[in-house]
Amino acid sequence: MLIIEFVVILFLVSILAGVFGSIVGLGGGVVTVPVLTLFFGVDIHFAIGASIFAIIGTSSGAASTYIKDRLTNLRVGMFLELGTTTGAIAGAAVAAYADSSILEIIFGSILLVTLIPVLMKIGEDLPKNPELKGLSKRLKLTGSYTEPDGTEVNYNATRPRTGLLGMIVAGMLSGLLGIGGGGFKVLSMDLAMKLPMKVSTTTSNFMIGVTAAASAGIYFARGDVNPLIVAPVALGILIGAAAGARVLVKARNPTVRKFFAVVLALAAIEMILSAFGI
Amino acid sequence: MSSVIGHLLRYGVVLSFAITVFGTALLIQQSGGADTSSPLTYHASTVPHGNFDVSLSALVSGLQGFQAYAYIELGVLVLLATPVSRVMVSIFLFAAEKDRMYVVITAVVLVFLIFSIFVTPLIPGFQA
Repeated sequence: MLIIEFVVILFLVSILAGVFGSIVGLGGGVVTVPVLTLFFGVDIHFAIGASIFAIIGTSSGAASTYIKDRLTNLRVGMFLELGTTTGAIAGAAVAAYADSSILEIIFGSILLVTLIPVLMKIGEDLPKNPELKGLSKRLKLTGSYTEPDGTEVNYNATRPRTGLLGMIVAGMLSGLLGIGGGGFKVLSMDLAMKLPMKVSTTTSNFMIGVTAAASAGIYFARGDVNPLIVAPVALGILIGAAAGARVLVKARNPTVRKFFAVVLALAAIEMILSAFGI
Repeated sequence: MSSVIGHLLRYGVVLSFAITVFGTALLIQQSGGADTSSPLTYHASTVPHGNFDVSLSALVSGLQGFQAYAYIELGVLVLLATPVSRVMVSIFLFAAEKDRMYVVITAVVLVFLIFSIFVTPLIPGFQA
């Protein structure tokens, strides 16, 4: 293929990936890496390298919006980033020794696991507010925000150590596969730490950039960040995610989730099969 | 506190975007008609893994020579700087709130980031 064809097509596909990803609430990585490896035949290491930077772009771009709404909890995010960054460095280190097919199998499996929260349709209801005590109290893991209808929501976090463990796993997956790890982050904050869903998702979005940054340097130095690939991908995903965020009003549509679950499952199976040379 | 970080992130992203667009335009102009097989080649057993240079000296001379790859790499590095600078700014903002615990926590996160970006490239175990 000619370079100009590759750049233009990849750019357009990345815009779609960005729109899709931001509407359904999954980061660019989960969409980008399979698209790059399955449709463009790019080596998965290059795909991961490009995805890591696309993720930084969408995280930094989107985080600037959510922080102003007081939804993102900076202390929760920063504390948990202790876990994500260590995990990300470890994951990136392990990726050095993993050959492409192993990464494809792991990636496909994680895609299937990511299906679980999508299928569970984690409810928007506010969890019963746990009391602020112990380590959570000392770490000041508390906050409040205003709902669109004006009601003020006060919340406290609980089980910070469990949350931190979840973050280490999320970080490792991010460093190994080039995904944002958002699914695991949101799960940890929602289920383990009992934070309101909106706080979990916005804080996770905020954290994803730092997590990706923790492994980005390693990928860059290894020569896994291919300029030919990362340029159209990063630009396209940024534009797509920005556009998708405006369309987010329609994001709670169950049809979109069902469609996405099917696409995700197919991509997962294809990646695992391709790893076995089928 | 939050709006400083918000603006910082946004300007960083915009700057990175502009530089990367410029680099991509150079790429199309300089090598649009070339085949993708060589640039997409992945060498599993040698580092760096691609047919492009990632050393600082190559980057600097590439920028001076208006080489497409150098500008794309610069745009990508500016992007990398956005979450790092966000963490740095947070240290000052927590300090302004006299929150010593979070100054320390954030500083530790920053140390991990600096280690990952500047130190790990020098450790053979991370480069393979």
